[in-house]
Amino acid sequence: MRYEEWSGIARKASKRSLWMVHFCTGCGAIEMPPVMTSRYDMERFGIASMATPRQADVLLITGYLTVKTLKRVVQVYEQMQSPKYVIALGSCTMNGGMYWDSYNTIKRLDKYIPVDIYVAGCMPRPEGIMNAFLKLMKLIDEGKARGWERYKKYYERYKKNQEMAFNFVKKEEKEEEKNEGD
Amino acid sequence: MLDIILAEILVAAIITFFVGRKLAAIIAMAVSILPLIALLDWASLYGFNIIHLGIEKSISIPIAGVSLNLAITPLGWFFALMIIPLFPAIMLFSYSFYKKNDGFYPFMLLALLSSIGIIMAKDMLTFFLFWEMMSWSSFLLVYRSRDKEAVMSYFIFSSLSAFLIFLGILIIYQQNASLLLSSINIESNAYGVVAIISLIAGFAIKSVLMPLHAWAPYVYSKSDEPFVAFLAGGLSKLGYYGMFLILFILAGAKVLETYFTNLSPNYILAVFGALSAFIATLIAFMQDDMRKLLAYSSIGQLGYIAIGFGIGTPLAVSGALFQAFNHAFFKAVLFLAAGAVAYRTGKWKISELGGVGYRMPFTFMATLFAIFTLAAIPITSGFAAKWLLYESAIDAKYIFVAPIMLIAGVGAFLYSFRILYGVFLGENRYPNIKEAPKSMVAAMFILVMPLLIFLIFPGYMLDMMHDALISGNIATLNHNAFVIETSLASYNTIAVIVALMIALIPAILIYKTRKHRVVDFMDNYLAGELPELYDNKISMHAASRFYKPIEEIIGPYFEPGTMSYYMAIYRGLKAISDAVRKIYTGKAGDYAIYVTLFLLIIMGWFIWM
Amino acid sequence: MDVSAIMIKSAVVIAYAFIGTFIGLLFLGVGRKIVARVHNRVGPPFYQGFIDVAKLLSKKTNISHGWIFDLALLFSISGILLAFAFLPVGGIKLLSTDGDAFLVLYLLAIPALGFALGAGASGNPNAGIGVMRALVMMLSYELPFVITMIALMIYYDTTSIARIVELQSVNGISSWAIFIPPFMLAAAVADMALQGMLMEQPFDIPVAPHEIASGPMVEFGGKYLGTLMLYKAISIVVETTLFVDFFLGGGVIMHGGIVANIANFIVWFVLIFIVFTLSLLINTAFPRFRIEQAFTFYWKYEAILATVALIWVYWMVI
Ligand code: SF4
Repeated sequence: MRYEEWSGIARKASKRSLWMVHFCTGCGAIEMPPVMTSRYDMERFGIASMATPRQADVLLITGYLTVKTLKRVVQVYEQMQSPKYVIALGSCTMNGGMYWDSYNTIKRLDKYIPVDIYVAGCMPRPEGIMNAFLKLMKLIDEGKARGWERYKKYYERYKKNQEMAFNFVKKEEKEEEKNEGD
Repeated sequence: MLDIILAEILVAAIITFFVGRKLAAIIAMAVSILPLIALLDWASLYGFNIIHLGIEKSISIPIAGVSLNLAITPLGWFFALMIIPLFPAIMLFSYSFYKKNDGFYPFMLLALLSSIGIIMAKDMLTFFLFWEMMSWSSFLLVYRSRDKEAVMSYFIFSSLSAFLIFLGILIIYQQNASLLLSSINIESNAYGVVAIISLIAGFAIKSVLMPLHAWAPYVYSKSDEPFVAFLAGGLSKLGYYGMFLILFILAGAKVLETYFTNLSPNYILAVFGALSAFIATLIAFMQDDMRKLLAYSSIGQLGYIAIGFGIGTPLAVSGALFQAFNHAFFKAVLFLAAGAVAYRTGKWKISELGGVGYRMPFTFMATLFAIFTLAAIPITSGFAAKWLLYESAIDAKYIFVAPIMLIAGVGAFLYSFRILYGVFLGENRYPNIKEAPKSMVAAMFILVMPLLIFLIFPGYMLDMMHDALISGNIATLNHNAFVIETSLASYNTIAVIVALMIALIPAILIYKTRKHRVVDFMDNYLAGELPELYDNKISMHAASRFYKPIEEIIGPYFEPGTMSYYMAIYRGLKAISDAVRKIYTGKAGDYAIYVTLFLLIIMGWFIWM
Repeated sequence: MDVSAIMIKSAVVIAYAFIGTFIGLLFLGVGRKIVARVHNRVGPPFYQGFIDVAKLLSKKTNISHGWIFDLALLFSISGILLAFAFLPVGGIKLLSTDGDAFLVLYLLAIPALGFALGAGASGNPNAGIGVMRALVMMLSYELPFVITMIALMIYYDTTSIARIVELQSVNGISSWAIFIPPFMLAAAVADMALQGMLMEQPFDIPVAPHEIASGPMVEFGGKYLGTLMLYKAISIVVETTLFVDFFLGGGVIMHGGIVANIANFIVWFVLIFIVFTLSLLINTAFPRFRIEQAFTFYWKYEAILATVALIWVYWMVI
């Protein structure tokens, strides 16, 4: 079944019931509690946080990712059940942010897993996060949040990018070992 | 036909001593076909016209001066129904279980022979002779385990049981000058009561009622599974056969009631049964050895039968007999499954097993069904039996027995899941094992069959026990094939089944309309980690000390255990014997003094007279 | 019974299954709303339960771990619907004359067993631990619950829930069990047992999301989680109805006629809502008990209180 053939109800339902699993790396996690609790209360829109990726629809990456954590993120993302969406918080996930020249963070998350929404800011305000969710809902409604299809379609390319990132670290590690050996 | 059966089994027992294992298994299986046919044949004595071969009711076999009087009684037939069918299936199982023939088959055949003798005995002497034969043949089977604790405890408890039964029989003989069951009339005096109580205690040892169960965990956990399946499934029922005989057919329950006018002694049996069910259940889920767990579960499940006999109303006794029938089959299946798992993996400890069910799906299915029956999941025949017992407790207003019994029923879920999860599910630790040999799987499925029949028709079971109940002066229940009615409520399997069909529709709709993909179990949520990264060195199986939180609370209460009381008795006896032994100093002078003293006492006595 | 009677009965049962599911899903949403209001939040809309289930069932991929895992789906929803069919609901007996309280008690174990099997087959250690906790919790709350149940059975001299409801409605509201002194105590005990049955706080350790990643459900997603939600929804209705049938006369206030039926239905609905709300309010007020604490709580204090009630009742009957 293609995305367009989805019945309207299913789309409406998945739009109003976004369950997220947040991958709390980086600093952005601190902005999540206000979003969840009574100040902003995202449960108004049917958003709830889930314990495992199997149950979740939205993967929330809340900041910079080192190559090592990227491995886990990919693992979590692949365990989620489609349709699945990714929201990436903070400038770190867009272009490396203040870690732009770090040797072991990834610079563009979109190269490794398909991101549906970026939230700019270092760090983004709770309103920004809320806005991102509202935007995501709109995209789902319009049938435009199709990152998971992209991942399936360009699976090889994504894998290649991931491998490159992982191998980079391996190479570095090897070099380090070599240096130590010297 | 009875004499032919007995002779045939005896001959086969001798032959199997000398032949190879495969031939022995086939002979043992073939030999047990005749009693099976005879079972169906005898059924026509009690109104089920299945086949006709020429029915006989009683015979006597003269052997060395005494004649063994045997008769097919309704009660005997009913118990034969749960013991004899186990045998061929177990033999089928053992076909590929053993590596060599080292005395298993002859003694198993003797055990079968003696148990047929016990349930068909017409007088107490025959009963006792066969009882002894059963004890000895099963003792020799236990002896094969070469485990000191198991052998010793089985020996001591068996002799104790024989002693108690013999005492009871002697008193009865002294009162009646006859051992024929039909002419025995137990008098309602102190002797009669002692006879009844000692007989019941003697039987309770064989049917592992707490606190006389102490041998069972050792024996069940150390002997070979095919034998244990027969011991737990079949032979343990003989104790309850004896109890039924004494309590209802010989009207022992009435005698006790008239003797103890104020308090009902039956209540005590029911309470022992309930405690047995409750305590054994709590101990069962703390075990790590699969066989020990099953042993305690056996003690618990057999406790329900004692409850039924204790309450003694028609409801209760039919429930008890139903439970006995179910237990024979599901416990045999469970022990055989344990044997099959051990055959493939060589492990007994639940903490070392795991994921066996993925590779042995048929063994798992048989176990699953047996466990459903054990845990009394509705519409299995296990539920019908437990339901009758619960009803009876409420009906008789046994307010302490009823909750204990119910909570023991819930406890059964806990240890059931311990087996299901710890052994068959969870991490796939044995990815390279094969399904158990075909003969083993076939044996387990054969044993599941009877449970399936009474799943739909619990009423048939009540029909079959009808004559047995009548012979014990117990009325039967109001029932038809599907519906059992009591004064409190009714249970209708057809309603449950139809409702289940309807209730399955949405489940199947959801299951079928939405496609799913089966993934490897390694593809698992572990906080983003992949198990392979650890080279499988880290166990993903929560199996060792599974019920730790609850174990820590209730464990200390069971620490002393029944065995320690027996050990205390043992130490006391040992101290006394040690003291007595000191008399034999080995010096001639001391013995001379003893003799002199003895003579002096005798002389003094004469003078005083 | 002839075929047409069976057909009519089946139709009624199916209708009630739908109503039960509907009410259950409604309760899920309303429950979240109530909790949110206590937290001073706005909370999701009251129809959130429907949306969630619709979303889960319309997921495109569903991950299974083999046929044993699938048993969870099949057992859970069918088992709970079966239990529902054997309860008198708002004066309508459904199939409750063909079974009794013991049957319902054991039918409630079927979905639990199904989920336990599914969780076990997922091979996830968290699931194993979660199931262990759920089973220990079950052992804990069942003791006080069965004692109160036996007290009721001995008082009314029947084990059939239909009969218990009938006997409680002879004089309208005044003959409800809860107005008989020992049963006030028993109802208080049973309400706490219900708290454990519904897995609300303080007894929600089996599914503790932050400790063991929601325990038994850790590997469930898509249609599997969807059926779990349906099961959860119906089980709320079933368990509160069990309480209402036992102590509040099943909500029966009138006899005969279609008006009485509707009135009884409405009263039943209001009563289960009150019982559910009560449990939610307890839920919001408490943190989580550890499993040992829950066990001691039920087997010590609750069981003693329940036994007092039982002996009291026994006294009255004898
Ligand atoms: S974007 Fe800013 S706040 Fe977010 S992780 Fe990067 S540095 Fe931290």
